[in-house]
Amino acid sequence: MVISPIHYIFVPLVAAFAIPLLSKLNKELPRIIPGIVLFYNIIISFVLMQEVNEVGYISEVIAGWRAPIGINLIITPFSGFLVSLISVLGFLIWLYGFRFKKVIDDGELRSYNILQMMMITGAIGIIITGDIFNLFVFLEIVAITAVSLTSFYRGRDGAEAGFKYLLIGGFASAMILLAILILYTQVGTLNMAEIAERMHTVPTEIKSTILILFIVGFGIEAELFPLNGWAPDAYSQAPGPTSTAFAGIVVKAGVYGLIRIIFTLFDIEGAYDFLIIAGLITMIIAEAAALKQTNLKRMLAYSSIGQMGLALIAFGIGTKEAVFAAMFLLLNHAIIKSLLFMTGSILMYNSKEKTISSLHGIAKRLPFISILFAIGAFAIVGLPPFSGFWSKLYILSAAADKEMIFLIVTILAVSVIEIIYYFRVVSKLYFAEGTTNVEVYKPKINAKISMLILGIAIFVIGFYPDLVTGYLHNAADILLDKASYIQYVLNTDSTIQ
Amino acid sequence: MQEQFNEIFIKYHEIITIGVYGTAIALMLIGLYAILMKKNLVKIVIGLTILDAGIHLLFVGIGYIQNGTAPIFSPGYENSADRMVDPVPQALVLTAIIIGFAVTAVALSLVIRLYKHHNTAKIDQIKHLKW
Repeated sequence: MVISPIHYIFVPLVAAFAIPLLSKLNKELPRIIPGIVLFYNIIISFVLMQEVNEVGYISEVIAGWRAPIGINLIITPFSGFLVSLISVLGFLIWLYGFRFKKVIDDGELRSYNILQMMMITGAIGIIITGDIFNLFVFLEIVAITAVSLTSFYRGRDGAEAGFKYLLIGGFASAMILLAILILYTQVGTLNMAEIAERMHTVPTEIKSTILILFIVGFGIEAELFPLNGWAPDAYSQAPGPTSTAFAGIVVKAGVYGLIRIIFTLFDIEGAYDFLIIAGLITMIIAEAAALKQTNLKRMLAYSSIGQMGLALIAFGIGTKEAVFAAMFLLLNHAIIKSLLFMTGSILMYNSKEKTISSLHGIAKRLPFISILFAIGAFAIVGLPPFSGFWSKLYILSAAADKEMIFLIVTILAVSVIEIIYYFRVVSKLYFAEGTTNVEVYKPKINAKISMLILGIAIFVIGFYPDLVTGYLHNAADILLDKASYIQYVLNTDSTIQ
Repeated sequence: MQEQFNEIFIKYHEIITIGVYGTAIALMLIGLYAILMKKNLVKIVIGLTILDAGIHLLFVGIGYIQNGTAPIFSPGYENSADRMVDPVPQALVLTAIIIGFAVTAVALSLVIRLYKHHNTAKIDQIKHLKW
């Protein structure tokens, strides 16, 4: 069987439609089939990543209509890297969650894994599509599934968080639709490469209007301040695996959309400065807010927003080194924050309030999970032997190359805040007197394996960053080389590769 | 009869164009107003659909050509490519309508869930979660 990018979309969609029928045969199938599909995604990703690293681009023409007339899927090293990351995380999240008791016991909740699978499919679709309207469709798939997952548990305030998310998301999608509309009147095409080619004919005022509409739209998924009001609520009310998927997968897709649009479609003076300023504000406010949270998941959510701010700053610096560092940060954030959310939800499993104070002394009863949480906390603030150290170092050195002293000072100051609130939680885990009598939840072996893989990954990347840096340097080079993207897409022949 | 109609139609074409764009923008503003100012959950959802409807109308409006034909090469219309209405915005609108339908369905189911949970449909009385 020939492996091609279309399998990312085709296989999960077929599976999602088939599962409700197959569930008549066996009640366990709705839980197991998404795992098989997500594992297949990993196989495709690694084959394609190998290939794209050698040839630079892979293009898939759908239904024989070659670009710019038809819709095409494009894999560049940057998107190939993100797609592989999402596939691996998606599978690990499924492995972590598929024996959760709440989902097994309640028959109505069987749709959970299907929704999760479709959310991952939507996120991958955002990344690999080469057509701007297709991007909008995938964004809506992500939004609808994410809202449904947020309001999944009836007992919690999920419906409230979900409604907020849906309102903001609905507004965002309206703005993106409007942006696509104005763009279409200006350039008369929906293919991203062709838009990029014709963009210089558009007057600057209209260009900046379109860009602002796109930033409002994608900034909501990328958790850009002040568009991230939905995030802490949604993260804290969603089921544990879903919060993990929000931090590891949905945000990545939003950031990718923003970066693809600013780097490839537009070449406006000041768009990069905008990224830096927006990233700075997002980072400072989110980290300050994280400091005063009492709910663990909300704290992790704010920390996630802050890290995305840092990634946007690094993308905004705009040099090859900085873009490379930003990609490295995306990789680290996906691994570490997923680990933190996974361990955090287990530590909090039976606590009703989900507050940090209910964690007092829990390390004695859950030593394995607590150690993994501590590793994640040390890694995300950037302590040396862990992977988070390298990405922060590369970002700082990229900022130093451009002599942005203010940025360096701010990033370091914010790191201190991060250290304070993460270490507060870790010290409560280990050194506080145990006061709660809440029964702890012992994770099953599948959840332990998936957390252990992430924990090992933190160490491996921490000790051998060379494993990923070569590939990421290549990806950064090609992301910044807009001309070759345009040339490749528009001159590709219609034979399916 | 038809020619007479066409003459009048061409004459008032500009007015119609302005009318379509004006209606679309008015709908968008009404929708935004409802989303931002209304307290009732159902009214907010209606506002969202009105906002979408405005954008859809704008989409169809920009693809319209005065005195145009359907974008199909049928007998008698072989050489009329320049008079054909742009089909792309119409295809996009069809997709956007379906997406809007799905969003509305999810939104209304959430409203039902919220109403059962809080026993009210007023958004300012539902504040378990802070922003």
